[in-house]
Order: sequence, then C-alpha cells, then structure tokens
Amino acid sequence: MALINHDSKLSEIILHDPSTITVLDRFGIALGVGDATIEQACSQHDIDVNFFVTILNTYINENYFPQQALEQFEVTEIVEYLSKTNSYYEHYILPNIERHFSFLIARAPSHNNNIIIMKQFFDEMKNELLQRINDDRDRLFPEVISNVKTLKTVSELSHNENATDTIEDKIDDLINMIVMHLKGDYDHNLGYAVIVAIFSLKKDIKQNNRIRRRILLPIYNSLTPQDE
Amino acid sequence: MSNSRVIILTHNTLEAIGLKGLLRDVFAIDAHIADDGYFSTFNQSIEPHLFFIDKATLVANLAFFLPRKSKTIVLTTGNEVIEDIKTLNCSASESEIISAMSLLLETNHHEEKPSSTLSSREIEVLRLIAMGKINKEIAQELNISINTVLTHRKNLTAKLGIKSVSGLSFYAMMNGIV
Repeated sequence: MALINHDSKLSEIILHDPSTITVLDRFGIALGVGDATIEQACSQHDIDVNFFVTILNTYINENYFPQQALEQFEVTEIVEYLSKTNSYYEHYILPNIERHFSFLIARAPSHNNNIIIMKQFFDEMKNELLQRINDDRDRLFPEVISNVKTLKTVSELSHNENATDTIEDKIDDLINMIVMHLKGDYDHNLGYAVIVAIFSLKKDIKQNNRIRRRILLPIYNSLTPQDE
Repeated sequence: MSNSRVIILTHNTLEAIGLKGLLRDVFAIDAHIADDGYFSTFNQSIEPHLFFIDKATLVANLAFFLPRKSKTIVLTTGNEVIEDIKTLNCSASESEIISAMSLLLETNHHEEKPSSTLSSREIEVLRLIAMGKINKEIAQELNISINTVLTHRKNLTAKLGIKSVSGLSFYAMMNGIV
C-alpha cells in the first residue's frame, strides 16, 4: 500500500489491511469509522497525528523507516501504544489460541499425541512472550519513561532483541509444524481455527517488532545510563 | 531458486525497478539491483544463479559474463539476438515478457531439490539437537566437521520448515526420534 498521510481515509486503510483494526483500537478508534480522514479522526480522539501516521506506516510498510520523525514524539505515546499491544497479546490473542488448541485436543482421539506436543511447543513460545511482556512492564517501559537505563552494556539489550527474533522464529516453526507435519485424526475446522489464530499473532508480532526496533530501540539507546 | 542470488545490472533504473517488481510479484524471487561497483566487490563464494544485465554492462564486462553466459540474460529493446546469450525483449507486452521469463527461469532451474525424507545421518543430527547438544558436541559425537553439522542442520530446516532448536526438539518428540 502507498504511504499513509494525514488525508488518508481510515476506511480505506482498514479495507486494505484488516489487521490495522487492532492498531486503531490501541488508539481508541473503534469500527464505524465513517468517511473520516486520519487528520479528522486524530483531532476528534486527541491523538498526535504525526505519531499515528508513523505507527501505521511502520506497521503496514516493511520498507518504511521513520528515523527523521522520531525526536518529535513523546516517549509516553510509544510506551502506551506498546503496552496496549502487549495487553492485546496477553489478554486476547494468546488465550484465544489456547482455547482453540484445547478444543482441538479435546476432540482428537486420545492416541493422537502430536497435537499435544504441538501445544507444548506453543506453551513454550507463549511463556517466552509473556516473559518479555513482564520485562517490558517492570523494567523497560519505566526506564524509557524516566529516561534512565540500568543495563550496563548495549550488548545486553541486543541480546534481548535477539530473543525477540526467537519468538518470531518459534511462531514460524509452530506454523510450519502444523501446516507440514500435523497428522492423524483431528477436527479440521478446529485445526483451521488454531492456525488462523497463530497467523494473526505472527503478523502482529512481526509488525510490532518492527515498531520496537525502529522506534523504541533508538529511543532506548539514547537514554542516559544510570550512574553506578 | 534461492533468494537474492538473482542480480539485476542495468543503467536504466526504471527498468531495474520494474524487473525487480515483476520477479517478486510473479515469480516470488527477491532479486538484487546492483550498480557498477558490483564487480569490484564481487565475492566468488556467493556466486549468483542468474544475471539480468543491459547490453552496455555486457560489453564493458565481457571477461566476467562470457564464462557465465549460461546464466546471463541480456535486456534488449526489440527482437535483438546476441549470439549464444539469452535475451529478454523489454519492449514486448507484459504477458509476452512474463511467458518469456518463465521459460528463461525454467531452464535455469536445474538444481535438484533435496528429497523431503530425512537421511539417517540427518535423523542422527536431529536426535542430538533434540538432546540439547551444541554443534561442536554433535561434530565430536558423529566424528564429522562442524561445517558438515551446519550443512545437515540447514537441510533439516529446509526439509522440515523448522528452524529453532526447541521446534526441532518437539518435532523429534512427535516422531519418536527421541
């Protein structure tokens, strides 16, 4: 999709990429957007329009680098957006996948243990993601807000960022495992529900990791290290 | 065809961008647009599979492209024929260009795909990965070089679609390998 600007219509953005509904929701914009442009919706909801446009472009366009616009944002805006994103994973998407998985397991014959093993793999990925969410809440976000970082070296942070990639890798692996290696008897509709739910997590994580890397990380790197 | 091992070298920027887009959208190939600096930084260990070049690039770098003529396609305007080298007529219609490209890409697609079943050696490596061994330990245990271990791991990932250690371990559990 072409770059989004102040005059883009919300309805066109959603029709082009329905996963943006969750992004708009994090800004307090619900469905029923009417004919409003970004500019109009932002003034109505009291949203910083430049920040909103940057987030949407980073989310939608893989090649979009927002560097120039960075300094003008309040860190609280980014932290708030990413906190809502985390909360969406924690309270909606992960429980949703889990629920579908439990139905799938409950309906499958007891000798089909490969679904149970896939669920264990999902649990491992889930715990890793929840750990990152806790770390964001307890350490990373408060540090960004208070403009002080406690990590001694940058390498510790880049290690964290690698861990982020591991979550993406594991989601990819889980999807491939189901697509390529699911076997035995199972309810096909429930199998479909599981894979669609994981796909939507994958898409959101991938796009929001881009926002973390291109917006949050440069801010974090510019923080003042805490005196020992 | 592996990604980004297709190189586009033409002085016509729009032509390069158009070709890159076509390769991506129609053939799912992620081509790399290079410039004249390409030859000075050329690295033989990552030999590309295919070159799309304009005539000026061919003429200026004959010594480079003649040994690679089997994987070189020259972009022409009109039905120009260049002896012994494949050409693509950029002024043809879109559908003609796409069908000509399908033919050209097919003839360059001789690499054999690895069989999808795991070899006994790969199963051995998978079992050791699932047991939590690192590459060095696997190499020692099987008495092979670390490079060979890496090749086996690459093939495992290509065949199974699974990259992470824990993913491979769960796959091994599912299939009774551990």
